[in-house]
Amino acid sequence: MRWSVSGSSTRVQSFVRNAGTFPPLTTTPPPTPPVYSMLTTLFNINNKATEKDDDDLSDSEDSQFSGLEDSGSDSEDEESDVEEKSSDDVEEDDGSNDDQDKQRQQTKVKNNKNKKGATEGKQEKKGDEYEHDTSDEEDIRNTVGNIPMEWYKDFPHIGYDLDGKKIFKPIRNKDELDEFLDKMENPDYWRTVHDKQTGRDIVLSDEQVDLVNRLQRGQFGDINFNEYQPTVEFFSSDVMIHPVTNRPADKRSFIPSLIEKEKVSKLVHAIKMGWIKPRRVQADSKERYYDLWANEDSSILAKHRMHLPAPKLRLPGHEESYNPPPEYLFTEEEKALWEQQDPEDRKLPFIPKKFSSLRQVPAYSRFIHEKFERCLDLYLCPRQRKMRVNVNPEDLIPKLPKPKDLQPFPTTQSLVYRGHSGLVRSVSVSPSGQWLASGSDDGSVRFWEVCSSRCMKIVQVGGAVKSVAWNPNPALCLLAVAVDSTVLILSPSLGDKLVISSSERLLAGSQEENPSEGPQPVVWSETEGEELKEGIHLKIQHPKAVHQVTWHAKGDYLASVMPDHSSHLQVFIHQLSRRRSQNPFRKNKGLVQCVAFHPIRPFFFVATQRYVRIYNLVKQEMAKKLQANSKWISNIAVHPGGDHVICGSYDCKLSWFDLDLSTKPYKVLRHHKKAVRSVAFHKGYPLFASASDDGTVIVCHGTVYNDLLQNPLIVPVKVLRGHVITHDLGVLDVTFHPTQPWIFSSGADATIRLFT
Amino acid sequence: MKLDYLHSSHFLITTKFESSLTASHSKVEFDFLVRGQFLRMPLSAHMDTEAISTEDVVEIEYVEKITAPEPEECMMHDDWIKKSKPDQILTGSYDKTARIWSVDGKAVMTVAGHLDVVKDATWVKRDGLTSLLLTASLDQTVLLWEWNSERNKVKARHCCRGHTGSVDTVSTDPTGSKFCSGSWDKMLKIWSAVPTDEADEVEEAADRPRKKQKTQQLSLTRTPLMTLSGHNEAVSSVLWSDAEEVCSASWDHTIRVWDVEAGAMKTTLTGSKVFNCISYSPLCRRLASGSTDRHIRLWDPRTKDGALVLLSLTSHTGWVTAVKWAPTHEHQLVSGSLDNLVKLWDTRSCKAPLYDLAAHEDKVFCVDWTESGLMLSGGADNKLYSYKYSPCRTDAGA
Repeated sequence: MRWSVSGSSTRVQSFVRNAGTFPPLTTTPPPTPPVYSMLTTLFNINNKATEKDDDDLSDSEDSQFSGLEDSGSDSEDEESDVEEKSSDDVEEDDGSNDDQDKQRQQTKVKNNKNKKGATEGKQEKKGDEYEHDTSDEEDIRNTVGNIPMEWYKDFPHIGYDLDGKKIFKPIRNKDELDEFLDKMENPDYWRTVHDKQTGRDIVLSDEQVDLVNRLQRGQFGDINFNEYQPTVEFFSSDVMIHPVTNRPADKRSFIPSLIEKEKVSKLVHAIKMGWIKPRRVQADSKERYYDLWANEDSSILAKHRMHLPAPKLRLPGHEESYNPPPEYLFTEEEKALWEQQDPEDRKLPFIPKKFSSLRQVPAYSRFIHEKFERCLDLYLCPRQRKMRVNVNPEDLIPKLPKPKDLQPFPTTQSLVYRGHSGLVRSVSVSPSGQWLASGSDDGSVRFWEVCSSRCMKIVQVGGAVKSVAWNPNPALCLLAVAVDSTVLILSPSLGDKLVISSSERLLAGSQEENPSEGPQPVVWSETEGEELKEGIHLKIQHPKAVHQVTWHAKGDYLASVMPDHSSHLQVFIHQLSRRRSQNPFRKNKGLVQCVAFHPIRPFFFVATQRYVRIYNLVKQEMAKKLQANSKWISNIAVHPGGDHVICGSYDCKLSWFDLDLSTKPYKVLRHHKKAVRSVAFHKGYPLFASASDDGTVIVCHGTVYNDLLQNPLIVPVKVLRGHVITHDLGVLDVTFHPTQPWIFSSGADATIRLFT
Repeated sequence: MKLDYLHSSHFLITTKFESSLTASHSKVEFDFLVRGQFLRMPLSAHMDTEAISTEDVVEIEYVEKITAPEPEECMMHDDWIKKSKPDQILTGSYDKTARIWSVDGKAVMTVAGHLDVVKDATWVKRDGLTSLLLTASLDQTVLLWEWNSERNKVKARHCCRGHTGSVDTVSTDPTGSKFCSGSWDKMLKIWSAVPTDEADEVEEAADRPRKKQKTQQLSLTRTPLMTLSGHNEAVSSVLWSDAEEVCSASWDHTIRVWDVEAGAMKTTLTGSKVFNCISYSPLCRRLASGSTDRHIRLWDPRTKDGALVLLSLTSHTGWVTAVKWAPTHEHQLVSGSLDNLVKLWDTRSCKAPLYDLAAHEDKVFCVDWTESGLMLSGGADNKLYSYKYSPCRTDAGA
C-alpha cells in the first residue's frame, strides 16, 4: 500500500504531521500484517508508540480493550484506501497487500449485511458506553469529550487530539454506489465499522470479531474466563476457627433493652388495670379427631332396627407389643401348630415377636393386607341384621310336662299272675276291678283275684282262647270268650251273689225267643251238664274262627270278628238278651282286624288293614274313614269320651286320632321297636298304653280337653318291662284296671303282670 | 338312765359304757339312740345326716339291743293264709276255712262253713272255755262262731248278711260287743257281736236262690246295726281305734275315721296310693298304713287336716299287705309285703328296718303279734310262721 501524498493535501499534511518521524511511507513498508500495519499507522501519533510497535509487533494484547477504537481507525484507513484506489488506479501491488486486499473483499462481500448490523450494534454500544463511561481511556485521540458528534457535522474536522490540533475527518466522498461497490468487492466490508469519533472506517481483527460474536452470544469476552468456576462457600457448615467478622459484639446485644423494658412494663400495667385482656385461650371444643362411629347406636339409628354398627377393630394387646411378656411368645409347638393351621383357624394372625428396641421392629408385612380387609369389612359387608331364625334345636322339642307331674301312672311291676301254660292272648278286668279273666293258648280261661294274684277259677274251654271280654255292665257278671269258631258266654260266679243270679237268669231266660227262620250263619246254643257247671252258659257258633269279641258299653250287644279276605261275613253283632245275631255289612271292605263300640253313641269302629271305618249304627251308614298311615292295623281302642281313637299297628306305630280334627292321625308315636299288639285306654285316668312284641308296655299320658281348640296332650311317661320274649312274641294284650291307675299285661311267657 | 354329756367327749361316753357293761352285764348288747334316732352308722356320718352340730348338747339313750326274732314254728296250711289272729292263733284261709292253732303250732280246730274264701278272722271275746270268733269271707257274709275249747266244738251262731261284695276285713271294738266289717262294696257295717238266739228280721227277697237258704239254715241271720258309706272304692282294712271310733282304709286312697255313735265320718286322711292295711297303736296313738307304693306311713288320726304323714318307712319292694303295731312296744311294728319279706321296724330308725324276716317263699299276706310276744306271718306259700320275739328286759332304757 502506498501512502500517496497525491491525494488531498490536507490529509497528506495531517499525515505528515501526525507521523512526522516516520520514514517516508513510500519507501519500504514494514512487512507487517495489514491490521497491525494499520494499527501502527493509527498509533503512530507518537514515536514512542511506533517504537513500541516496532518492538513488539506480534504483541497486540494491550490493544484488545480498545479494539473498537482500532476498528474505527481501521475503517477510516480503509476509506482512505478506497479513496486512493478510486483516485489513482495504477499503483504498485505488494504481494502481501494484494492478498490482504483480496481477503478483505471476499469477506466483505460475504458479510456486508453482518457488518451493517454490527455497525449499528456498535453504535448503540458506543452510545451506551459513552453514557456512563468515563473518558480516561488510554487510546482516546479525540479529546472533544462526550458530546454528540453531530455537532461536528458541518466541520471538516472532528474534535481535537491531545496536542490540540484538529482531527480532520477523512475525506468522505463515498456515495451510495461506492458503498455498494465496496460492499461487493471489499472482503473485509463485513468487519468494517465506522468510527464516529474519528470518522474513519475500521476493519475489525479476527480477535475482535470473535469478541463481538462472543458478546453477542451473551458470553464473557474473555475466552479464558471460567464463568463456572467453583464457588467458595463463605457461610458453610464447617465451623471456622475464625469468625466471619472479627468485630466485637455490640454492647446492645447483651444489655437488656430499655425500650423493650418500657414497652413491657406498659403492657403489664395495662393488663393489671384491665385495659388489655390477655388473649383468651380458645377452648378445644372442636376435637380434631373424632370417632366416626361413636354415636352410631343413638336415636338416629334407632329407627333402623336392622342396622348393625360397624365392627370395631380390636385394640392391640400384649401380643402385639414389640416386647411382649414371655408367656405371649410362641413355643416351638405353638409355632408349628400356628403354621399348620389354616389362616382362618389361627388364633392370632401373626406370631408375637420380641425385639430389643422399637427401632428394630421391621415394617409389618401384612399391614396393607389387613387394612384392605378392614376396608372390605367396613364397606362391602352388608351391615344389616340377617333375618335368620336362630333356633336352638332343643326349643323345637315341644315342651312336654315332666312325667313326674303327670302321676299317677303305673311304674313298677307289683304282681305276677302265674298259672297258664300257654301264651296268654287276652286279659279282661271285671268292671268292679276285683277280678281278672285271662284266656290262653293252653285252652283255659282263668279268673284271678286282682289284689292277691290268686287264681280263683279255671275253666277249660277246649281250644286256644283268642279273646276274652268281660261284660262292662256292672249289673251283670259275664264273660265272652272266643275259642276257635265259637263265642262262649261264661258266668264266672264271682262277686255279688245278686249280680251272679241276675246274669244267670238273663242267660237262661230268653231262650224261647229263638227265631228259626232259615239257615242262620250263626247258631246259638245252650250248654248243659259239665260245661254248665263250669259256668259256660251259651255257645254262639260261628262259621269261621273268631278272633275278637267285644262288648257294647251297655252289655247287651256283643261283636265278634272273623277275619276273612273273601267273605263279607267278617263281623257279627249279637244281642244277648234276644239271642240274635246279625251281620251289619253287606260288602267286604278288607280284612277286618278289630272292632270296637263307641262308649256312648251308636257308632261302631271297624279296623281293616289300613283304615278305621266308623259306622253309624242307627242310620246304618259310614260316618268316617280314618287313615292310619300304617301298613297293618293290629288293634284299636276308643277313648272313654268317644272322640279319640288310638290305633296300634304291626309296623311299630301307635296313631292317635282326634275324630273332631281329622281323619289323619293327630299324632303318631313310634316308641316301640316291634309290632304293636294291643292298645288300651284307661276308663278314668288320662292314660293309654300300648303293648308290643318287644316285650314292653309303654304307658302314655293323654289328656283330652273339652275345649275343641286345645289339642290333646300326649306324653309318653313310662316303659314297663317285665315280660320275657318267647318265640318272638312279647306282650300280647294290655288292659287297664277300671278304677286304679294300674295296668295288666299278658304275654307270650304265659304270665299276666300287674304294674302299679 | 339319761345321760347328758358334752358331745365333744363322746369318746368318754363310750368308754364309760364299756366299763359299765363289763361291770354289770356280761353279755348284753345295746343300741344307742342319739336324739331319738337309732345309731346305725358311724357317729360322724350319723351326725352329718341328722345335722347335729358338734357343739350341741345331745341326749343319748341306750337300750338293750333287740334280739333277732327266731323263726319258731311253721304251720302248714292247706291253702294260702289270708288272715291270722293271735293267741290261740286263728287263721283264715283261701281254702274257705278258718283254723285255730295253739301257740306251739298245732291245729286245734278247723272252722268250716263259708262258701268262699275266708278273708279275715278275728277273736271277739274269750272268757273261760268258750270263745267268740268272727270270720269274714268272699261270700259276702261274716260268721260269728262260738268255740268251746273244752269240747273243741265250734258253732256258727250268726251269719251276718248285708254286704254286696266280699267282706275283706272285720274288727271288733275294745269291749267286744260290736264289730265292724269292711267290704269290697265300699261299705262299712257295724254289727252287734253279742250272740243271741233270735234271728234278725231280714226282708227276704222272694226269688232268693236255694243255695242261700241253705246257708241261712246254718246260723241265725244278723243284720247290720249301722252302715257307714263314704268310700269310693273297696274298703281294705278297718279297725277300732277307740271305743266309738272306727278307722278304715280303702282303695280310694283315703283313710277315714268314723264316729260310730253318730254314724258319721270324722276325718279323712288322704294318701296317693291304694291302702292295703292299717294298724293303730294305743301306745303311741299313731296309725300305720301299708300301701301299694311300698311305703309304710305313720299318721296321726287326730289331726284335722289329715294330710300329714308323720313318717314313712321305706324298705319293702312290693306292696305292703300287712302292718301291725307291737302290742307292748310303742315304737315297734311289723310289716309284711308281697316281696316275701316280713320286716320288724322301729320308728326311731326309719331308714332301715331292725330286721328282715325272710322266711316266706311267697307273698306275705298277714302279720300279727301274740300277747305272749310271738310274731306271726302268713302268706301265699301256705305257711304260717311264728317268730319268737323277746322284748327287752329293760324295756326302753329311757
